[in-house]
Amino acid sequence: MIRYMIVQNVLHRPLRTFITVLAVAVEVTLVIIVVGLTSGLLAESAKRIEGVGADIMVQPPSASVFMAFSGAPMPIAIADKLSQLEYVQAVAPVLLQFNSNGLEIIYGIDQESFLAVTGGFVFHEGHDLQGPNDILVDDVYARSKKIKLGQTLRLFDHDFHVVGIVEHGKGARLFVFLSTLQEMAGAHDKASVFFIKCDRTDHTPAVIDAIKQLLPRYEVRPLKDFISLMTSSNLPGLGAFINVMIGIAVVIGFLVIFLSMYTTIIERTREIGVLKSLGASKGYIVRIVLSETTLLCIGGAVAGVGLSYLMSAIFIKLFPTLTILITPLWVLRAGLIAIVGGLLGAAYPAWMASRKDPVEALAYE
Amino acid sequence: MLKPTRIFPSSNSPTLAGERLLEPILQTENLWKVYRQGKVEVPALRGVSIEIFPGEFVSIMGPSGCGKSTMLHVIGGLAQATSGRVLLDGNDLTTMSDSARTLLRRHKVGFVFQRFNLLPTLDAYHNITLAQHIHGNGFDPHRFQVVADLLGLSGRLKHKPSELSGGEQQRVALARAIVSEPKIVLADEPTGNLDTKSSEAVLGLLRQLNQDLGQTIVMITHNPEAAAYGHRVLHMRDGEVVDGSSVH
Ligand SMILES: Nc1ncnc2c1ncn2[C@@H]1O[C@H](COP(=O)(O)OP(=O)(O)O)[C@@H](O)[C@H]1O
Ligand SMILES: [Mg+2]
Repeated sequence: MIRYMIVQNVLHRPLRTFITVLAVAVEVTLVIIVVGLTSGLLAESAKRIEGVGADIMVQPPSASVFMAFSGAPMPIAIADKLSQLEYVQAVAPVLLQFNSNGLEIIYGIDQESFLAVTGGFVFHEGHDLQGPNDILVDDVYARSKKIKLGQTLRLFDHDFHVVGIVEHGKGARLFVFLSTLQEMAGAHDKASVFFIKCDRTDHTPAVIDAIKQLLPRYEVRPLKDFISLMTSSNLPGLGAFINVMIGIAVVIGFLVIFLSMYTTIIERTREIGVLKSLGASKGYIVRIVLSETTLLCIGGAVAGVGLSYLMSAIFIKLFPTLTILITPLWVLRAGLIAIVGGLLGAAYPAWMASRKDPVEALAYE
Repeated sequence: MLKPTRIFPSSNSPTLAGERLLEPILQTENLWKVYRQGKVEVPALRGVSIEIFPGEFVSIMGPSGCGKSTMLHVIGGLAQATSGRVLLDGNDLTTMSDSARTLLRRHKVGFVFQRFNLLPTLDAYHNITLAQHIHGNGFDPHRFQVVADLLGLSGRLKHKPSELSGGEQQRVALARAIVSEPKIVLADEPTGNLDTKSSEAVLGLLRQLNQDLGQTIVMITHNPEAAAYGHRVLHMRDGEVVDGSSVH
């Protein structure tokens, strides 16, 4: 009965229903896209770092797993010490620069050691770095920026010569000589990270112990479960950002539902009086209002999930380097957030409806 | 007949149309209702004492503003009295909490209003079954059929109020009022918005409900012809019942 009644109510004011559902949908989409974009970004860069093929990553003390945001490079001489450790097959020093312009990371690599650790690039076109101004770009970057082999690419006020287009997945999308990047960054003989390849994978824990003895305060991480480390909770700023965005979404949903139910209840004042004259309790009236809210929110959540997939498809089309990760967990969470926020928004209107005076309500024009 | 409920023990007396039994179904004693408008006090009821017996059909007449609607609201448990007593089927409404009066309305009272007051989004069928749903005993198809047939609604059940004539709407409202077998039907100018023909139909149905089902009815009206459908007429003036003796 209540179900039939709320469906009729919702159909009775199609525009109000549409606007409310749309607002909830936008709320849900905002949550899903923000979370999907950040976790997509993280997962994607984690995958690329795993794709380097190293077993261990060494970073300066208290560096974040998000290498792009870590400063304070280490002396490159450490590489020599590391390569003398038992079971270490190769050590590749890499200097990172963050190109804030295109949100891209550039690796300054020592080609020989990088090759030894990663097993080498797969070239779609072109060849290795040869001159100091040479640059390699990966296929995804080349496709999205429409970059052709042999063209000039301007980064950090520096003209690079695109000499090779390589298969993506080797840590970054852009590679230049270590010495070139050191010079540009004023970081002579410095590296941001050392990638280490062990002679056998099962020697990794032993090597990590040895490095920790050698460099006590340095961050030493195995790359095997790197993706699990790359979560927003490991980057406090990002976690806060996500929470703020979710908070904004919830406030939007809360306000829209509040206003929608508030006006609905004023509009239906006389009907509430009728229900009361029939002996409907306060609980009965609260139940009607909250059921209707739940219906609107579920509609909004379903529409929001659809809208999220649509938006993500459009995003990916416009920005091919982006990854948006839509997980069932967050679809569910976004839906629940919308429903809970909506019910909170409807709480006051429902309470207001339940305690209307029946005689006054019946006299309402 | 009417089922006794656990919450409000019923007098349980067998009732017959028109027959007076000793126990009134409704009784008021020195009933006062004073509205407060800012600093001004408006006494709408000034010491009303009446008795309504099971199976009676009582009309209330009186000039506009004399307190008829107020009295109906107070005896039906929609509004709280200022002082005095209202006994409905043995329950004193004036000492009851808001939620207890809600329960009492649900189980013992059926309201009919001048403006029909059907829910505009629901069809006739759901307007009627809504009352059964609120009543809490669920859908009773037998009772529903009896009521729908009696009020001649069987062909109009799928229609929304906006698709029904005034007379039809009031018949649906009447069905809604009696479908959960109330002890008393309180009708506030039920024909006030109807043309003569529809009025006669509705009044005829009220009389039929009273005669065939023994339904106790209190009806407010402006119209002496309408009032004549009842067994007796209570005349009100300035918040008082001035003459309750005229029996037809
Ligand atoms: N909510 C209210 N506040 C103040 N005065 C009211 C209210 N309702 C009714 N009254 C007053 O009480 C008196 C009786 O009203 P009412 O019972 O509606 O009369 P009737 O139904 O006989 O026309 C009138 O003087 C009216 O103005
Ligand atoms: Mg009136």
